[in-house]
Amino acid sequence: MTNVDQFESVFKSATKISFAYQDIEIRKVLLVTDLEEQPAQQLSDQVRSFLTVLAADDSVNWRTVQGDEFQTVKELLDLVEKENPDLICAYRHLHSQAWRWPYSLGEELDVLTQITSSPVLILPHPKAQPLDEILKGTGSVMAITNHLTGDHRLVNFAVRFTEERGTLSLTHIEDEKVFKSYIEVISKIPSITTETAEEEILKQLLKEPHDYIRSCSDTLREEGLALKVQEIVSLGHHISDLTRLVEEHQVDLLVLHAKDEDQAAMHGLAYSLAVELRRIPLLML
Amino acid sequence: MMQTFLNTGLITAQATHAAEPVPLAVTVMFSLLLLGLIAALALEEQLHAKKSVIAGCFAFVSLFAADALDLLPIGSVTNVFGEVVELPVYIPAIDWNVIAIILGASLFVDVTSRSGLFTWIAIRLTKISAGDPRRLLFYYGVLTVLFSAVLNNVTAMIIVGSLTGVSLNKLGRRDKLLGFLLVEGLLTNIGGLLTLISSVPNIIVGTAADISFIRFFLVTSPFVVIATTITLMMGARLFAIHSLVDEEERQEAARLVADFDENDGIESPFFFWFGAIMMVLFILTIATTSVLPYISELGMGYVAMAFGLIVLIRYKAVADEFYKALDWDLLGFFMALFIVIDVMEHAHVLDLIGRGIVPIIELGATMGTGLMLVVSAVASSVTDNIPLAAMLAKILSGLGTSSDSSLWWAVIFGANLGGNITPIGSASTLVAVTIIHRYKLPLSFAGFVKKALPYAAIQIFLAVVYVLLFLG
Repeated sequence: MTNVDQFESVFKSATKISFAYQDIEIRKVLLVTDLEEQPAQQLSDQVRSFLTVLAADDSVNWRTVQGDEFQTVKELLDLVEKENPDLICAYRHLHSQAWRWPYSLGEELDVLTQITSSPVLILPHPKAQPLDEILKGTGSVMAITNHLTGDHRLVNFAVRFTEERGTLSLTHIEDEKVFKSYIEVISKIPSITTETAEEEILKQLLKEPHDYIRSCSDTLREEGLALKVQEIVSLGHHISDLTRLVEEHQVDLLVLHAKDEDQAAMHGLAYSLAVELRRIPLLML
Repeated sequence: MMQTFLNTGLITAQATHAAEPVPLAVTVMFSLLLLGLIAALALEEQLHAKKSVIAGCFAFVSLFAADALDLLPIGSVTNVFGEVVELPVYIPAIDWNVIAIILGASLFVDVTSRSGLFTWIAIRLTKISAGDPRRLLFYYGVLTVLFSAVLNNVTAMIIVGSLTGVSLNKLGRRDKLLGFLLVEGLLTNIGGLLTLISSVPNIIVGTAADISFIRFFLVTSPFVVIATTITLMMGARLFAIHSLVDEEERQEAARLVADFDENDGIESPFFFWFGAIMMVLFILTIATTSVLPYISELGMGYVAMAFGLIVLIRYKAVADEFYKALDWDLLGFFMALFIVIDVMEHAHVLDLIGRGIVPIIELGATMGTGLMLVVSAVASSVTDNIPLAAMLAKILSGLGTSSDSSLWWAVIFGANLGGNITPIGSASTLVAVTIIHRYKLPLSFAGFVKKALPYAAIQIFLAVVYVLLFLG
């Protein structure tokens, strides 16, 4: 190593982003349904038994919205604003039969996940499959993103929803298609050795989430949280690989971002996954 | 007419190496060539030319002109085995011991830096500082001096300067970056005084004066400690680099530097420890070269090359990568420079300059030495200190200056500290300015001089006092 850039790279690489643990406080949960009183109450009970991590806390205030309390998106948004919950639980295609076709979340959730600052827990549609088979606690929670390093909020929410002694899978899948496209460009630049670039860039891309997950694991242990942290960092195709991983790890709850600064998540990875993964609950931040 | 001009004055050789008289006009012509080289080196940036190319062109022209004027001792030479061999005249002109030291030490430092040793030390120190700016300045300052002493000025500036940029950005103290980098740049030239191999002028002058590594260290180390302390205290004051007083700020700074992982750059723990042990052995061997049996006969160049080769075994399959990374521009520059200086010797240019220096020397041990130091410093501030050191070393040798004369020290101190007056005075201050500009911080030539001059003036004053009081 002989120049400033080389040493600067070494020092920058040595600068790690450590996980900052923060206890997520959930005081009020709003369960939005399009059901009548009795089935709505039944669903409420199922959700409470699913979210034992919250139900165990007596201070959590649960409120169930019945179908006749809103008819339009505007009415739902007004209701959410009035209640100001820390967590919204809902399912796809409220007041609609479109749940039969897996092409969207339904107009209410499409808007709600983008407008509200509260996280939205999207449940499978009650008519699509028996919820008793699906809502069996949160012993296995997976947090996914295409940029995990430094995403403390995502990890903290995933930690909050993981049952004691449960497994928290922190997943970072680097988009293979994007990576290959850059390597293709590099292969056309004579001053850059393609083989070295491919090897080194991939190594560094995967190293950063690896280091961050290690920091998460260490911090959670220091905080005395009895969780098993599992690292899943690889290069692959987002949708197909994540779908496979969810099945392989028998995930009970998937935590992901619904929005980002550029509003790209909802139109990219998150939305595609939300539409694709209809059989498991999704916590969209 | 030309013949008449050439015959207007003949200078008689003063030194023993040049027996043949040379016409004054010829000497003046070669003097102009030397001045041209010095000016071109000072304008290196503006010319967009590398040092090796500049010096190479002057070496090429000088050799041709000297041969055409029949100044060079062309012919066979007798080697150490007593054999008469044909060698191009420019081969013996080069000081191969100096080249071997630079080549071997560069290779050794380059390979050892791959072990993560230097970055580990630098990051550990950053963490120990807990992110306190004033403590960080002092730690980085001491680190710069030590790295300059055991590696070389440029490598020290590159390592500490790049870490400074990264850590101050991380700490949100970018406003202090200019002060840190400037002080570190100035300290490289102080650290460069610590050992015989710390800077090229030391190697050249030390070799010419036959000063041992240990003696060099014992003479310069007290000055280095004093000058470093004063420079750091001035730096902290003039750039308003204070300690953190707020407890919350202290905790935040400590948390931020704790994110650094000193082990990140270590590829293999074995090579890390191997690098550390080899570094200690290298310093010990270099320090004791003059007293080690057999090794003393082979010299420091042999030691440097041997250590470079030993550490290279770790990367034997990709050794060529390290050869490519060597600073061939610097090596080419030295070779060309030695050739130019040799030609100047045969053209009696050095005798001419020596005559100019004699009145300075004749001022006496006090005034003469002091003035020599100041003149060396001023001269090396506007041009590369290496040709200056090479030229003065040759002149002092030619004048038969004894090994214990304070004049050698005047040149060593002057040539090193002069680099602190302007950004072009030494390669390491140039690196500091490059890093400053890399971070888009405004600093012009005049701006550098304005900020650096108080430090340089005090350092040179201290050096004069030190040399006169303790080495006179």
